[in-house]
Amino acid sequence: MVEPLLKVEGVRAYYKLGRVFVRAVDGVSFEVNEGEVLGVVGESGCGKSTLSNVLMMNLRKPLVLVEGRVLFKMGNGFLEISSLGREEVKKRLWGKEMAVIPQSAMNALMPTIKVRKYVEHLAESHNIPKEEILEKIRIRFQEVGLDPVWLERYPFEFSGGMRQRAVIAIATLLNPQLLIADEPTSALDVVNQKIFLKVLMQMKKRGIVKSIVFITHDIATLRQMADRMVVMYAGKVVEVSPLEEMLRKPLHPYTKGLLDSVLTPEPEVKDRGITTIPGAPPNLIDPPTGCRFHPRCTYAMKVCREKEPALVEVEKGRKVACFLFTEEIA
Amino acid sequence: MFKVMFKPLLKNRKFLIGFSVFLFFLVLGLFGPIFYRVDPTEMTWNHEKPPSREHPLGTDTYGRDILAQLIHGIRSSLYIGFLSAIISLTIGTFVGTFSAVKRGVVDETLMAITNIVLTTPSILVAILIASYMRVRNVEMVALILGLFQWPWFARAIRAQLMSVMSREYVYLSVMAGYSDLRLIFEDLIPTIATYAFMSFVLFINGGIMGEASLSLIGLGPTQGISLGIMLQWAVLMEAVRRGLWWWFVPPGVSIVAITASLLVISTAMDEVFNPRLREE
Amino acid sequence: MRLVVRNLSKTFSMGFFSRRHVEAVRDVSFEVKGGEIVSLVGESGSGKTTTAKMILRLLPPTRGEILFEGKDVWRDLKEREELREFRRKMHAVFQDPFASYNPFYPVERTLWQAIELLGEDLSKQDKLNLIKESLLRVGLDPKDVLGKYPHQLSGGQKQRIMIARCWILKPLFIVADEPTSMIDASSRGGIIKLLEEMREENGTSIMFITHDLGLAYYVSDRIFVMKDGRIVEEGSPDEIVLSPKHEYTKTLVSSIPKLYKRMEDLV
Ligand SMILES: Nc1ncnc2c1ncn2[C@@H]1O[C@H](COP(=O)(O)OP(=O)(O)O)[C@@H](O)[C@H]1O
Ligand SMILES: Nc1ncnc2c1ncn2[C@@H]1O[C@H](COP(=O)(O)OP(=O)(O)O)[C@@H](O)[C@H]1O
Ligand code: SF4
Ligand SMILES: [Mg+2]
Ligand SMILES: [Mg+2]
Repeated sequence: MVEPLLKVEGVRAYYKLGRVFVRAVDGVSFEVNEGEVLGVVGESGCGKSTLSNVLMMNLRKPLVLVEGRVLFKMGNGFLEISSLGREEVKKRLWGKEMAVIPQSAMNALMPTIKVRKYVEHLAESHNIPKEEILEKIRIRFQEVGLDPVWLERYPFEFSGGMRQRAVIAIATLLNPQLLIADEPTSALDVVNQKIFLKVLMQMKKRGIVKSIVFITHDIATLRQMADRMVVMYAGKVVEVSPLEEMLRKPLHPYTKGLLDSVLTPEPEVKDRGITTIPGAPPNLIDPPTGCRFHPRCTYAMKVCREKEPALVEVEKGRKVACFLFTEEIA
Repeated sequence: MFKVMFKPLLKNRKFLIGFSVFLFFLVLGLFGPIFYRVDPTEMTWNHEKPPSREHPLGTDTYGRDILAQLIHGIRSSLYIGFLSAIISLTIGTFVGTFSAVKRGVVDETLMAITNIVLTTPSILVAILIASYMRVRNVEMVALILGLFQWPWFARAIRAQLMSVMSREYVYLSVMAGYSDLRLIFEDLIPTIATYAFMSFVLFINGGIMGEASLSLIGLGPTQGISLGIMLQWAVLMEAVRRGLWWWFVPPGVSIVAITASLLVISTAMDEVFNPRLREE
Repeated sequence: MRLVVRNLSKTFSMGFFSRRHVEAVRDVSFEVKGGEIVSLVGESGSGKTTTAKMILRLLPPTRGEILFEGKDVWRDLKEREELREFRRKMHAVFQDPFASYNPFYPVERTLWQAIELLGEDLSKQDKLNLIKESLLRVGLDPKDVLGKYPHQLSGGQKQRIMIARCWILKPLFIVADEPTSMIDASSRGGIIKLLEEMREENGTSIMFITHDLGLAYYVSDRIFVMKDGRIVEEGSPDEIVLSPKHEYTKTLVSSIPKLYKRMEDLV
């Protein structure tokens, strides 16, 4: 029996820019189950990073939660973290229950502050003795394949791959239940990507983290470790499916487009050749009417321009928001 | 290009307020002496008189007109500020650019010098030099001050240039057959211009403050008048203790207002430019 | 032979008081024929970009020679006009689409630069038409692009404009240094297709640089595998990917994420 660890219900989170809104996350619902790796995939600008901030309740200035709830499992019940303020969630959950590796975390580290300082800062904000936490990070560094002497170095001395491993070691130091990783491998070369994925899967296997939300634009990377997939397009979830089933038979035309654009040296891929999705994701200040994918969709019908397809379950465990599927059912 | 750079500034409230205040003093300094034709050094028998119709801001111990002094003082303080800023900016740009372009030994030597100047307590050296000279005109004071302000700017310019020169867009301009000169004008200068402009404002500030500090300890210009010198006289004659407010308040307020307006301008520029710089 | 690289080496020396040396490229030799696409593959830091910059005459080599169309790139191009000729014939697309544009100018500046380099006597209107045609050619609507600033376009769109720049110049040789590594996975195929079309139409030779053997597999006639500044293995895509010999090539191959087969050694 799968139990959800995190529930997202009808969330809308917009960037408020003067009088206009960037509808970066616009009516999104899904769950993250205990013990699973949930992949979130979509092109740049589809709202993935915004979503990760919403999951953490890391809402800052232009970003506001307009509607919806985010619930996190605490003990036997669920805590509605969306009703708490950012500071409250930060104090009670960050680091201990949920942690994030933000996009471009590699560059977020100040080049002039030693890595050890970050760890000490973590100890301070959680009232843990410094020595205890330093001992912990030394062990954790070794586990991710970094010599603890690197704690005394500055971030700019690290190579990209090492920096990303340092970031994950620090982020998971307090054994959070949920780890959200936003494009952690996108700036790495394939060799370092694989090393990072190994570290990540080790952490899950050893129970350091229970569930992982892995965000990326690269389906081929997700394929290596995700159990289920959430496909995002223009601020909306367009498909939720178990990974293997999605690979075998993608439902949403966008999912199919993403899969068909992947280039890997495999016979299946060589046979189908290179195809791309024409155009680019829309501006989210004024997204297209109806189905937001219709200007790029080869199957677009009249109804697609007028009405918005709802996300509905079409097979067991598979949801899709597309009239190709829902019209027949309705 | 400059439109792109400076238009957003005019929409920033802070900048507009700071700039208006500064402009007010600039106009006062530039055109005041033309309209208010009273000789600030002329002594009269009206000693230490509070403001009156004849002397709108009163007089000092020697019966000299305070308003005339103030106007001329603002003028030369701003002049010292601008002059020392130009000197600092020139040296800083030269050292920083040379370091970044030549690299290697040139870079290391220049940076060693820069660090030495950076770490010497500059005001002490300025005091030493100033006290060594018997006659100091306004330009000399500006030079002394200008010689010690540039190091942090040189370092910043060097760092910025180094990072810009390894950007791909610079390579692409080179590959489009650009001459060095054209590259400098079209690609390098715009990138560092906003920063240089901000620094220039801070340098003016540093020059005005520096002059005031030197003057207060009696090492300001020996010829002419400045806001610092006015304050020095007021202090010497114990104007504060004796309650001669019309003597020390105007130069004091002017210095504070000018330097504050410059600081506001530079923070406003930081606000406007920085998100754009980070966006790259 | 369009490009001949012989014993190319580059050593960076840093520090004046305490000297440190980085041998970024060591004794690299290879040749590229007209209309050939070769790939240079290796993880980051292996010396790919340094090699590219030396070939593009942006960074002087420590040792070795680079012959382009029979002329030594670093020794034989003395006259200004010779150099311009070289710039017209050899061009590049770089890794970082954001850093490829000066943020102070609209994106089409890069296309005007190319037209100017061409040096043909065209009216302003003809030039503008050429720019529009080049944009259409790379699958962009001029309406969406002209007058826009770099931060207003996606990485994929910006890389397409870089290819439009090459299309205007129609060079004999393009160095594409990781043109796809910083853009969406779904846009990569499109960029690669465009490069292939350049080759089909104009017989352009291309040196495609990447850390992803999977991509190199699709575009190349030949692949060079680079590690620590050296070329450690060379061969056809099938040889390199399906039966790698060098240990390092095997690591690279096993690091490619595949779609239809999960990596087995992750856990
Ligand atoms: N701080 C911000 N202010 C305004 N708009 C933003 C901000 N951050 C992101 N956006 C916009 O929100 C949309 C989604 O962005 P993001 O969540 O970063 O997408 P992704 O991570 O999928 O690339 C984009 O259109 C982006 O331009
Ligand atoms: N300007 C430079 N100064 C010093 N070292 C450099 C410089 N450029 C590159 N290097 C070093 O040379 C090596 C190869 O770098 P590079 O050619 O950029 O590799 P790649 O493109 O394969 O990632 C790296 O170790 C890098 O640190
Ligand atoms: S709803 Fe219509 S436009 Fe949208 S994905 Fe389905 S078929 Fe395409
Ligand atoms: Mg993102
Ligand atoms: Mg490189």
